[in-house]
Amino acid sequence: MRDLGSRRIAWSLGWSVIAFLYAPLLVMAVFSFNDSDFTGLPFLGFTWRWYSMLLADDRLLESVWNSVYVALGVVGLSTLFGLPAAIALDRFEFPGKRWFGRLVLLPIVLPGVITGVALLLFYMAMHLRLSLYTIMLGQGTGLMCVTITEVTARLRQMGHSVEEAARTMGANEWEVFQKVTLPGVLPALIGAMLISFSISFDEIAVTYLLTGRQNTLPMTLWSLLRREATPEVNAVSTLVIVASVLLIVFGTWLSRRGSGEPVVSPG
Amino acid sequence: MTAIIEARQLQKHYGGPLAVRDVSFSVTEGEFLSLLGASGSGKTTTLRMIAGLETPTAGSVLFRGQDITHVPAAQRDMRMVFQDFALFPNLTVWNNVAFGLRLKINRGRVTHEEIKTRVGRYLETVMLSGHAQKLPHQLSGGQRQRVSLARALVTDPPVVLFDEPLGSLDASMRKSMQLELKRLHRELRKTFIYVTHDQEEAMGLSDRVAVLQDGCLLQIAPPNDIYFRPNSAEVARFVGAANVLEGIVESKGDGVAVVRLAGNARVEARDNTALAAVGDSVTVMLRAEQLRLSPAAPGTDGFVARVTERLFLGEKVRYELCVHGSNTRLSALDTGDQGGFQLGDDLSVSADPRHVRIIGQSPPQRSAP
Repeated sequence: MRDLGSRRIAWSLGWSVIAFLYAPLLVMAVFSFNDSDFTGLPFLGFTWRWYSMLLADDRLLESVWNSVYVALGVVGLSTLFGLPAAIALDRFEFPGKRWFGRLVLLPIVLPGVITGVALLLFYMAMHLRLSLYTIMLGQGTGLMCVTITEVTARLRQMGHSVEEAARTMGANEWEVFQKVTLPGVLPALIGAMLISFSISFDEIAVTYLLTGRQNTLPMTLWSLLRREATPEVNAVSTLVIVASVLLIVFGTWLSRRGSGEPVVSPG
Repeated sequence: MTAIIEARQLQKHYGGPLAVRDVSFSVTEGEFLSLLGASGSGKTTTLRMIAGLETPTAGSVLFRGQDITHVPAAQRDMRMVFQDFALFPNLTVWNNVAFGLRLKINRGRVTHEEIKTRVGRYLETVMLSGHAQKLPHQLSGGQRQRVSLARALVTDPPVVLFDEPLGSLDASMRKSMQLELKRLHRELRKTFIYVTHDQEEAMGLSDRVAVLQDGCLLQIAPPNDIYFRPNSAEVARFVGAANVLEGIVESKGDGVAVVRLAGNARVEARDNTALAAVGDSVTVMLRAEQLRLSPAAPGTDGFVARVTERLFLGEKVRYELCVHGSNTRLSALDTGDQGGFQLGDDLSVSADPRHVRIIGQSPPQRSAP
């Protein structure tokens, strides 16, 4: 046993980290219910006013849907290209494989601003009009790496023998993919989708450079805050946090189920 | 007897030294053949080439006389059991076993009723009927390997390939699985090709053992021959506790060759003496369990050696010996009736000439014919 003093220090350090991380969120959530026109004390009473105002604010709601739309597009793109790339990297030998592996992972270390500027110049050269789709492309190229790293790690962990077993049992390549590889990587794939979704949802650097006439939620919040921190911003942020937590819980549950690990530890 | 599988001068090259070089053998219908070797000997690569999971760099694989070297694994009539079981983690035991049959149903070769009866029967064969609805992670290692066994057997393949199937099980589980494999082979009369690095397992289970080293097939023979009549020092060293020693043939006559070892120790050899003439340097094999030990005294048979280590192994005692006047080292196994010797004791060591085998001529000083 360590002496009581160092334990107390460890506890207080631990709790201060938690407080540092979550207290601001809590404060924000509390003020979203404050019946006052300003974010700040005193607490004048409980109200749903900001939430109802939020639901009436078309511009804000539209930007939420824009964000969801972009995030879904990004998830689609990164899965469409990331999954085959990961399988190719782990399961096949081809010339230039090492360089391919490094190249597809490069965007993860590139600052978003660089990616954004590069894409902006590219779009301008191609005479492409900026829109939500250009944002999708911009974020998708970067977030594809998340899918590739997650799925490759899972494939390594799985090993080759499960697929080989299926093959020796007479499964053709499509059956191997559909019945063995895909169910095997599904937990990792879902995890990557969730990460991509949440990163895309609040991405601002690439989005700022590539956005057209329509705005995503972070952009709208940014412009609102530049004028004034209304409690409406608190309300929408609180809703986003609740949605994120639900998404993560759902994703964890889904991936546990998929990986064959017990969701609830058996009696 | 017809060969069901034939390997013809199989070669595999990954870059670097050859992983498998010129391995040829044939397996008869219903035979249990073990490929025995240390890691890196090429045994698993050879098995995988037979399965179709690797393409040989050269050579060919024949199935009932037909060349299947370039037939994909999915179209070969073989199943494989893997060391890591390779069960489908997201499928129940039942669905794991039914996997191969369900593929056939898509191609209209099997009915739902058949799947039901066959999966049920094979789960019973491997004593897992009560676990059908469990997922692989809920089973013990031994149970998982029995599932993969049932999964391999359920489609009734003529050939089953095993890649160190018991390698990841603990000792007691391995013993009971060995019995089960032997029973299954006897009952089903299928051809088993079995890769292992455990010589006891290979000899205990198989009809024939193929010993591989550095990608070469050294010897293929029934276990008894591999053990008592190894064709090379490598095989002798790999199989059982053999002392492989260098010596010079001093005299020959009446089927007995007297071989002088280092330190002027002499042994008489009666096995395979035709291989050597007087004056030749030869390699002789003395099996550790066939050495006779007695306290050294004037007039006793054999040569003198000192006990340098004593290991109590339960049913036997292993002595490490050093031959007097040399640094030749020997191992001897005493099953308990030769008395307890202590560290530093001088012993008289002798061997029945029938069990002393001349394996070959020593390479460095090959004498002229």
